[in-house]
Amino acid sequence: MTINLATQKILVVEDQAIMRETLKHILGTFGARLIVEAESGVNAIAAMRLEPFNIVLCDYNLLRGKNGQQVLEEARHLKLLPLNAIFIMVTGEKSPEMVLSVIENKPDDYLIKPFNQQQLLIRIDRCHTRKKYLASIDNDIDSGNLYQAIQHCERLLQTNDKKMHLPLLKIRAELALKVGDFKAAEAIYQSILHDRELPWARLGLGIVAFFLGFYQQAIESFQELIKQYPAMLEVYDWLVKAHESLGDDENALSSLNLAVTLSPMSILRQKKLAMLADKTENLPIAKKAYAATIKLGKNSIHGSASDYSGLANVYLKSNAPNEALKIVLELNQQFHDDPEARLRAALLETNIYQAKGNKALAQQAYGKTFSLNEQFNKQLSRELRLEMAKTFYLNGNSETCDEILNDLVKTNVDDKLFIKEITAVCDAVISQDHADTLIQQIKKELVDINNKGVSLFKEGNIKGALDIFELATAKMPDNHTIILNLVKIMIHDLKKSTPDANKILKTQSYINKAIEIGIPHNQISDLQTELNTVQVNPTINRPV
Amino acid sequence: MPTTPILSIGFPALLASSVHDIKNSLSALRMLLAQLEAICPEPKASEFKQLNFEANRMNNSLMQLLTLYKIDVAQFSPTIDEHKAGDILEDVVAQQSTLLALGNIQLLTQCDDELLCYCDSILIGNALCTLVNNAQRYCLSKVLLSAEQEGDYVVFCIEDDGIGFPENLLSPDDQQIDQIDLSTGNTGLGLFFTNIIAQLHAQGDKRGFITTDNHSQFGGARFKLYLP
Repeated sequence: MTINLATQKILVVEDQAIMRETLKHILGTFGARLIVEAESGVNAIAAMRLEPFNIVLCDYNLLRGKNGQQVLEEARHLKLLPLNAIFIMVTGEKSPEMVLSVIENKPDDYLIKPFNQQQLLIRIDRCHTRKKYLASIDNDIDSGNLYQAIQHCERLLQTNDKKMHLPLLKIRAELALKVGDFKAAEAIYQSILHDRELPWARLGLGIVAFFLGFYQQAIESFQELIKQYPAMLEVYDWLVKAHESLGDDENALSSLNLAVTLSPMSILRQKKLAMLADKTENLPIAKKAYAATIKLGKNSIHGSASDYSGLANVYLKSNAPNEALKIVLELNQQFHDDPEARLRAALLETNIYQAKGNKALAQQAYGKTFSLNEQFNKQLSRELRLEMAKTFYLNGNSETCDEILNDLVKTNVDDKLFIKEITAVCDAVISQDHADTLIQQIKKELVDINNKGVSLFKEGNIKGALDIFELATAKMPDNHTIILNLVKIMIHDLKKSTPDANKILKTQSYINKAIEIGIPHNQISDLQTELNTVQVNPTINRPV
Repeated sequence: MPTTPILSIGFPALLASSVHDIKNSLSALRMLLAQLEAICPEPKASEFKQLNFEANRMNNSLMQLLTLYKIDVAQFSPTIDEHKAGDILEDVVAQQSTLLALGNIQLLTQCDDELLCYCDSILIGNALCTLVNNAQRYCLSKVLLSAEQEGDYVVFCIEDDGIGFPENLLSPDDQQIDQIDLSTGNTGLGLFFTNIIAQLHAQGDKRGFITTDNHSQFGGARFKLYLP
């Protein structure tokens, strides 16, 4: 044992009193002193809100309310778990990975019932050792400095620890994928596969092909993997993405449907299935998947108002306005404080009463939609805003429609898929060239802003240039050119003036943002290297 | 005779769902047993050992049945990754520790700390547990669980000092086993299961396999699991 349980705060989440007692007893005999119990998911989250835990042992099958996976997702989402905390999922299943098959938020380890005290302690100890070993990398990933994480990973690889070599290579390749260095990832996966056929490395090669745009090749390798490992659900998710990228929604749908059959408890897969089926007009599948999403969503942070409006819309499309109205009622009950939900409900009511031919009620609902939009439009999700634009146009309010469209194009001008959606809506509802004109106009505005910033910079007016780009990136957070220019000028500024820790942090956060919005690796890596060379003098400007 | 079967969902599915159910009950039963044992004054009644042994055995059998069912309906594929052979051995010893604590049988392990193998560690761990559990029953005083590299294979070996395998469970001429006589009860099922699991492990044109003989260094049964 390398871990001293006496200093660890441990949370035991288990609905069976007898099992809780046994666990407490076992942990106690091995020196644990700080043990908190929770018999439900809600209480587990409440306990984690009160104090951070080092170790969480959580049963998957909690009788009522949230299951273990939903507890983990919520804890991570609310950042209730410290970075070095160990989360172990206790299950009755023999192959938990397959049965639970989560897309993200994997626990550190699984423990299969029945187990004895030795088995429990070995699990905790191995997790602890592994976490400690990888702490430097995890810290970097948590703070968003992926390039530094890569450096730490390389350093550990150089120590030639044979037992950690492969796990480190796996992390190194995943980091390469994250920063978009696909060639590096490919080389690692290939070298691993040269020695040994490992499913995750094979999957990695498929992912590289996907990111390089070789969708057909990616699809073939994913299909081959599924043939060999039908239970490897992650592969299905990538297969779905590849089909979608080729515009083949039908095949995407059937692959996803298979994955959902194997893992009906995964809310994100159900949600995705519902939306894809909705899009491809497979209404029975959409109905079933939305209903499943709503049910799972009641205990999950991934549950949302859009699941309800999705289902209501499907009922509306299937000529069942009364069913749709029932769902709207439920939506209002579940999310009465949420402006987005209220807007969705009002929007749905407008459409439902129109379908039912009740003009007075439809008009009343439209009025509600309009005033809610006035209050909250900017806070809404972009998909909903696009829908709002359409509704406004159809109700004769083209001014508000254009206002929203303008803003949507501006903030998403680099997101090809979403621009395609906007264009499709405009083409269908307004006119053929409406979207194109708008996009051209906004691209020109962008070029102007960019040129102005660049010329200020060339004149030596660094402050003025920074102001322009910062304002522009706040307005258009997903624009590649602007954020890259902003980072370049910030680094230039850092090099010229006294080093300032806050400025460095700020620059790092823009680099993280740039990686997040998918700016290619070769355009970022040099900037990160430059930023890393800017050192903070420890005696001055230390952040308090 | 009616032509429609009474069990419309099919017997295998019904069996699998019952096995799940029994496993849950067994889990509760084992917990109760552990609690009872904890409050029982020393010296503990010797029946605890037998109870633990039987519970272990039931659990292993049920787990094997479920896995075999999944393999049969093609719902199953192993999760192959690199593992430390030492960790797998440590897991087996941990699983057996409750039982070991109650008897006077020694479970020894032997393995190079750096030895790595490629396998589904949960499956292999379970298979080894069943066989070690059986070895404990048939040995006199000790069982040795070891792992080492033999050419292209990592070999897990279980040896004891008992009377050895009966004739019908021995590999023909020290070759790998193809057919296993299931009429021999738990040991037969354990070997059958392990053989199938071994075959799910492949690298290039090599597949995993098992052998049984009575050449244990302690004079009893020897079982070997070869993983490529």
